Amino acid sequence: MNAARPALKRVLGLRELPILVYLAIMIAVFSIAVGGFFSFKNFENISRQIATVGIVSVGMTLIILTGGIDLSVGAILSFAINIGGLGIVAGWPMWVAYPFMLLLGLVLGWLNGFLITRIAVPALIITLGTMNIYRGVIMVITRGRYITPIPKAYEAIGSGYVPFILLALVLALFIYISLRTRFGRNLFAIGGGEQSAVYSGVPVRRYKMIVYTISGLLSALAGMILVGKSGFIQPQAGLGYEMSAIAAVVIGGTSIFGGSGSVLGTFLGSVLMGLILAGLTMLAVNPYWQGLITGVLIILAIALDTVRQLRRK
Amino acid sequence: MRRVRGSNLILLVLSGVNVVIMGLLTALSPTFLSYGNLSAVMLRMSELSMLAIAETIVLIAGGFDLTIGAVMALSATVFGTLHVAGLPFAAILVLALSAGIAVGTLNGFLVVALRLQPFIVTLATMSVVRSVVYGLLKGNVLSDLPEAFLDLGYVYVLKIPLLFLVVVLVAVLAIVLLRRTVIGRRIFALGGNERTAFLSGVHVDRMKYVVYALSGLISALAGLMYTARIRAVVPDMGITSPLEVVTAVLIGGTAITGGKGSVFGSLLGILAMYLLLNGFNLLGLNPFWQVIILGTILIYVVGQENIVRGVRAALARGSRRKSQKA
Repeated sequence: MNAARPALKRVLGLRELPILVYLAIMIAVFSIAVGGFFSFKNFENISRQIATVGIVSVGMTLIILTGGIDLSVGAILSFAINIGGLGIVAGWPMWVAYPFMLLLGLVLGWLNGFLITRIAVPALIITLGTMNIYRGVIMVITRGRYITPIPKAYEAIGSGYVPFILLALVLALFIYISLRTRFGRNLFAIGGGEQSAVYSGVPVRRYKMIVYTISGLLSALAGMILVGKSGFIQPQAGLGYEMSAIAAVVIGGTSIFGGSGSVLGTFLGSVLMGLILAGLTMLAVNPYWQGLITGVLIILAIALDTVRQLRRK
Repeated sequence: MRRVRGSNLILLVLSGVNVVIMGLLTALSPTFLSYGNLSAVMLRMSELSMLAIAETIVLIAGGFDLTIGAVMALSATVFGTLHVAGLPFAAILVLALSAGIAVGTLNGFLVVALRLQPFIVTLATMSVVRSVVYGLLKGNVLSDLPEAFLDLGYVYVLKIPLLFLVVVLVAVLAIVLLRRTVIGRRIFALGGNERTAFLSGVHVDRMKYVVYALSGLISALAGLMYTARIRAVVPDMGITSPLEVVTAVLIGGTAITGGKGSVFGSLLGILAMYLLLNGFNLLGLNPFWQVIILGTILIYVVGQENIVRGVRAALARGSRRKSQKA
């Protein structure tokens, strides 16, 4: 009894609890309402959809934990595959093209971090700017042309359970990093109070740079999966990913003000969004309403977080 | 006193920039100074000028509104779909404008009652509103609109487009509101320091509602103007407006931290942007360069002080190193 109580308390105090409950309800409702929802085929489908946004959201979680934000993730994703795709067209082998795409993501993410830490301007303004710069460069270079068809080999990364396995690896890595390394713990410290983190000797500037760089790298990886899944490369790829990623992060219980949250929560957040969108698609709800759902979920999640913060005070 | 001089300096510089761009374009392209081209620029910049006026008011009050472009599309969509549904003209006009006020009030509510950050709130409501627009239009372009209304887009008074005159009128009203009324003073006070404003008796929450609702109303009006100009309702209407408008407004000297700014400056910012875009068109450059340049200008304008300081420090370090070597 005595041993059980703290365990129960721990479960009830989990910040991921509300979302776990939503998830259970969601799955139950859709399984009853939609024939064929509860099937392996369908979950394989959904898992592939979740993987791309999920991987982007992991990077976004680290950034939001430090109190920042990155609106350019979708643009970086698109940049990596479109400009990297020129290599595919030029006939580069895959082991050159893939690292090149990742490198592009890394460089653009680093550039975001550089601008944010050096110019000391709100991250949202910087990334609103870079988002448009990156997208502009894509359009100038590709002139809006699709790259299609792409060699079959590039589809491997986007088929079967490969995307989901990649997501699982990314998750495992960053759950470990965020909870068990000094770097990870310090991200929470930066978000909790940047000035105090500086005074406590946290290399705030360097850590922030690293976080944006990681986000860029992960966006590029998500882009590669997207290419494998769709079989072509389009300049508009990743449009609106920043919204989906921010939604997954805040729905997963990470505070938009930084300092608290979890990578695991973000994963649950992206699963929840993926399920909702898939369920609605199967119910033949027009996909145009997706933005409405994403927006409402973001507002609800943030309102919940604000209430939680007020109560703590 | 110094602040006044500082903001006048920005306006002066910006006017100078506009004159220089015009001079360059006149030299590079013979058609630039023609009446046809100039009135086309005036016509084309009308909607964005309206959005810039709306954004300026919100930014001065210390807020942020990303929904301007989506609201523009929403009001146009409400206007179009209700016309197709057969409602009388006066009714659809009122309802289209009310849609804007409604979104603005919703933003106000979320910012005031739930104490959420305006940026995140309007990012979310932008997504909601845009989705409603797509949903109502089912992604289609709507061109079954009242003819008499559409013709307003091509009415000229003394050879000046009517839509541009609407901008001038709204701008004058906004300037009078901000500079010559108690409400205007309170908006500046609110943006300058919310706590102080509250302690000096400003109804802070009520002021926020007013500011966001006003922004919604002006954006909705912009939507009707856009519809009249392009003679159709397009679902993607205003999708890039937040970047363009925020950039122009910040270039025009409005502070992103609130409490400081001018409608006139924002309009000069929009003018500079459109002259550039017009120049690209006349010179046959890829229009996507505009987005790249805008993004760069946005980052530069916001980070100006720090960038200048940083470059100066780097130069000083460089010269010190040189003198050490010598």
